[in-house]
Amino acid sequence: MLDSVREIETPEGISLRLRAVGPLPRAQAWMIDTVIRLVLLMLGMAPLSLLGTGGRGVAMLLMFALLWAYWVICELWLDGQSLGKRALGLRVVNLDGTPVTWLPSVTRNLLRVVDALPGVYGVGLASTLVDPCARRLGDIVAGTMVVYAKELPIGHQVPAAPAQPLPVPLAPEEQAALVDFAERADRLTPQRQEELANLLEPLTGCRDTAAVRRLLGYANSLLGRP
Amino acid sequence: MELERISVVLRPRESREALDLGAAMLRANAGAVWLAWFAFSVPLFVLCNALGLLLGLPWLGLLLVWWLKPLFDRVPLYVLSRAVFDRAPRWRESLRGQRALPWGPTMAGLSWLRIDSHRALRLPLELLEGAPRRQRVARWKVLRRKLVGEASLLAWGCLQFELVLFLSAWLLALWLLPQEWRPASFADFFRHEVHGAATAWTLAASAVDYLAMSVIEPLYVACGFALYLNRRTELEAWDIDLAFRRLRARLQDLGKLLCLLLCLGLPLAGHAATPTPKAAPVSTPQQVFRQPLDDGDQRFAAAAAQVYRDPRFGGERHVRRWELKYASRPAQPVNMGMAPLRLLSGVLNALLWLALAAAVAALAWFAWRWSGGLREQSPLPSFEAKLSTTVDATPEALPRDVAGAARELWQAQRRREALALLYRGCAERIAQQLQLPFAVDATEADWLRHATALDDPARTRRVAAIVRTWQFAAYAGRYPDQVAFERLLDGWPLQPEAAA
Repeated sequence: MLDSVREIETPEGISLRLRAVGPLPRAQAWMIDTVIRLVLLMLGMAPLSLLGTGGRGVAMLLMFALLWAYWVICELWLDGQSLGKRALGLRVVNLDGTPVTWLPSVTRNLLRVVDALPGVYGVGLASTLVDPCARRLGDIVAGTMVVYAKELPIGHQVPAAPAQPLPVPLAPEEQAALVDFAERADRLTPQRQEELANLLEPLTGCRDTAAVRRLLGYANSLLGRP
Repeated sequence: MELERISVVLRPRESREALDLGAAMLRANAGAVWLAWFAFSVPLFVLCNALGLLLGLPWLGLLLVWWLKPLFDRVPLYVLSRAVFDRAPRWRESLRGQRALPWGPTMAGLSWLRIDSHRALRLPLELLEGAPRRQRVARWKVLRRKLVGEASLLAWGCLQFELVLFLSAWLLALWLLPQEWRPASFADFFRHEVHGAATAWTLAASAVDYLAMSVIEPLYVACGFALYLNRRTELEAWDIDLAFRRLRARLQDLGKLLCLLLCLGLPLAGHAATPTPKAAPVSTPQQVFRQPLDDGDQRFAAAAAQVYRDPRFGGERHVRRWELKYASRPAQPVNMGMAPLRLLSGVLNALLWLALAAAVAALAWFAWRWSGGLREQSPLPSFEAKLSTTVDATPEALPRDVAGAARELWQAQRRREALALLYRGCAERIAQQLQLPFAVDATEADWLRHATALDDPARTRRVAAIVRTWQFAAYAGRYPDQVAFERLLDGWPLQPEAAA
């Protein structure tokens, strides 16, 4: 089954799902970062250009910092998020899902030089297209990846209904599907709700609206409601 | 379309995440997609450029290939849709399958809808669903509602990626050229060389653009398809549909099995015909935590015991052998070159021993100093002794007339002794008055406290004045003037008869 998730199992048996970010959102985040850095550079340059040679020297230092230190500082102090990544809800983490530390951060940002070859990020683009976790070369060397920081969109509240006990025991995935149905039922059309509920006729023993109501009852009992 | 055969994980995703699913789908079916893509588009590419050359307009090839993108899009879409819901088709099947897809939307895409940033999203709706036109418009309205922004961003992103690849190829070629082959300046390059061989350069640009397009266009289509799948998963709850179908199949199998068992059991045993509903398993904490040894556990215990019987893992072994009491020292190899080094190490060793000895000696000296060797030399006792001599200079017993003696001393410029006498006399008088035993170690504070016990507050004040004056003189060297001193001598405690 195809998915863009990297799954890690911790020694405690908990499976962590890192949702890898592909080239398109990463390019968007990079674009935002670049615009921010350009604006910062302009704002810094304007007063510094009035100060003659010394001012130009300071401006060069500013440019250097924006080019090299910006990424590392953002990643270390903003939880692995540069400003563009923060805007899009992305985050840099180590491959095992731990927060990125300074050594991998420095490595991946130093290797930007390689990824930016030949001047327009061609190597980085090719690498993100090929790698299953959409890592550029810097990420591969540093052992990091970019993941979605935000949680998955969750469904609405399960509508309250009198709980009904399940007639047969169900496996955990099947129970989860029932609760999912109850959470997302209000976003589906009534016809679609009935269509889905009719699939479970062997379980509910009824059809259409009654079946939908019965499934909501099952979900309420699974959630431990009275 | 059979949902059960879908080969991607269906779950609610953000639309941005759906784009990544598109990239993953493309990666998984890369071979099938690109084989079909090139089989379909290379002839068209050659044809377009040949047409451009024939008409004497070499740029026409570049433009036409770009214009035909919506036509090319059909191929990756066909391959991916089949790969996701069934299996990846071979390239011949893909080309033949194009006939099954409707042509109307492609024609629209090639004419008035050519500049449309939602093409990727429109493609699956129009080509795969194949609904009549009116229904299609209604569906498009529902489908696009939340995806317009993402679809536009996708189009722009892919445009940029194409540009990146195009420029990368040219820049790489420029870097790989030897220095002497490079043009002196870009202005020169475009004025002379490009102008001189315009056709060749245009064809090269066309080829590079076609290659860049070949990389990115399938990605564009795949991402659009993934957006479409995600939107339909959201609208129609495909993931729940799949889970319900699986559950239904399981329940039906279970039902069949029960029926079979019942049919078999009915003639054999009459009472089996009425199946008692199976009570839900009740688990008590005892059952959960203190499970009785069942057959599996016993087998495990037996296996573990077997393992521990193996001498490599458990048990004790007694080994007896002879060993030398004094291990013979291996002969040191003699190395003449090491002699200076050895000398140096010897010196260092000696220095270290000396340092240790010095440390021990220093410790011993400190210990002696603090334990009492220094008591005689301490400056503090000598100061005490001096003080005591000055105080002891006054007669041991107080004179009868303390005030007179004090005045004599004061006039003899022995003011300190005078005040000391005054203080002692005062203290003695308080002790007499209160019938206290005269304590040698009583401090000034003690006398002040005793003075508060006197019944006359005026006396208390006088005692306080004398003690304060004495303290100022004794500890700060500040003496009262003649008048103040005389005032201290008047009245109680020094002249009892006057106070009485």
